[in-house]
Amino acid sequence: MAEHAAVVGIGQTKYDAKRLDVSQPGLVREAAIRALEDAGLEWKDIDAVVIGKAPDMFEGVMMPELFLAEALGGVGKPMLRVHTAGSVGGSTAIVAASLVQAGIHERVLTVSYEKQSESNAMWALSIKMPFAVAMVAGAGGFFAPLIRGYMQRSGAPEDTGIRVALKDRQNALKNQYAHLQMPDISFDMIANSPMLWDPIRYLETCPSSDGACAMVIADAKHTKASGRPAAWIHATNMKTEPTLFAGRDQVMPQAGLDCSAELYKKAGIQNPRAEIDCAEIYVPFSWFEPMWMENLHFAPINEGWKMTYEGATAIDGDMPVNMSGGVLSSNAIGASGMIRFAEAAMQVRGQAGEHQIEGAKKALGHAYGGGSQYFSMWIVGDQPL
Amino acid sequence: MSDPSAVGEPQLTAAHTLEYAYKRSLGPVLSRFFTGLRDKRIQGVKTGAGQVLVPPAEYDPATGEATTDEFVDVGPGGVVTSWAWVANPRAKHPLDHPFAFALVQLDGADTSLLHVVDTGDESSMSTGMRVKAKWADETIGQIQDIASFVPEEAS
Repeated sequence: MAEHAAVVGIGQTKYDAKRLDVSQPGLVREAAIRALEDAGLEWKDIDAVVIGKAPDMFEGVMMPELFLAEALGGVGKPMLRVHTAGSVGGSTAIVAASLVQAGIHERVLTVSYEKQSESNAMWALSIKMPFAVAMVAGAGGFFAPLIRGYMQRSGAPEDTGIRVALKDRQNALKNQYAHLQMPDISFDMIANSPMLWDPIRYLETCPSSDGACAMVIADAKHTKASGRPAAWIHATNMKTEPTLFAGRDQVMPQAGLDCSAELYKKAGIQNPRAEIDCAEIYVPFSWFEPMWMENLHFAPINEGWKMTYEGATAIDGDMPVNMSGGVLSSNAIGASGMIRFAEAAMQVRGQAGEHQIEGAKKALGHAYGGGSQYFSMWIVGDQPL
Repeated sequence: MSDPSAVGEPQLTAAHTLEYAYKRSLGPVLSRFFTGLRDKRIQGVKTGAGQVLVPPAEYDPATGEATTDEFVDVGPGGVVTSWAWVANPRAKHPLDHPFAFALVQLDGADTSLLHVVDTGDESSMSTGMRVKAKWADETIGQIQDIASFVPEEAS
């Protein structure tokens, strides 16, 4: 990577079930304005706009990036859209960063969003196709067997997922933007919630949210001149694999294992658990925390659950995960990956407020999408690498 | 390419209909515009530079800045700035007889609105002709509250 790049501005909307008070342009604008304000910049300072969201079918607007140009100050500038399913928020940030790292642009605005109140994402993901078995299962139905597979392999205690959900829902209470705020959340409440897709309980799943997240990514010159805290991008990485093929390990995808190993190598990290201060990872169903702890090489294979169980991933643990409340607490699908990346950046910028990890210097942002087949990740630090 | 019929295997197809119900949140600017139509008012919004956009937009396409809070009544008369004649309307077209899709710049507006001009025949259409809004019998807050634009002298 030729040029250093850093996150110098971050903006989020409040995540909510129904933002009926704003249009889609109004929603993305809200996050973008906050990112510009945080960066101390104006529209004219931005060289290019990179936008991401999940499938067009979710809102029923084909190529929505085209009608969002003026809302994002994109008129007369390069504007492009990224799409990699649920990981899109992460890969969008990476594309934006690459434009700066390549020396093509100096300051890039990147935004991702979903307005689930205008759609029904669950069933848009479960299309009954001719000649195919109609599962009509939704995302949970797809991932439940993978979770069951993990439980069988690892011998993890049955309540591991409940513990993850309790932690993330308690963390969400410290995040003003989190969609689900459940002050009276308890282990029993989660354990007794309806079984949606065995073994996934209702309170172990993510909500459907409206929301947008935005970041301004700048080169070293502008970052230093801004005089504001920066999240320097140490490394980014993406990997892809097919949805289905014989021999594919869907529980522990090779693409994720390789993606994170390469990421750490690029960032000069030998021991991720010791060297990374905290992580925001894509956990739409509680059990994906222990699964991804292994996939991200924080724990040996089949031992990720121990990190959850021993409290390592708690906000006061040695490897805090999803301090913001995570995807379990806010899921504006297209934005969810970028929220992870932005929350990691907020930690090293020291701007995470009540869910700040004191002295965080190095953080991981992670997203995955499709049938656990697209991965995007970055490492950010409070200093340039 | 091998000929599929040569091996006697039919190549299969099947119909696939995909349908979803969606919802739209208009936001404050277009909500005001459509609510105005219900009351038989056509409103534009002023940009920071003083241009009047009709239909109104939340953000000025020229600058990316938010448009102002100032709404102004425009029309109901205006000028056809461009048009295309539809000689043989199909079932889903807005009128059941020949008409023009046209850009109409309403009096007081700096931009043109895409709508329908109903003149009866193509020979009476011209760029620069004056038209005025003809309201639907029932107005409910949608663009079809303007049933069509008709030649001004005819009304």
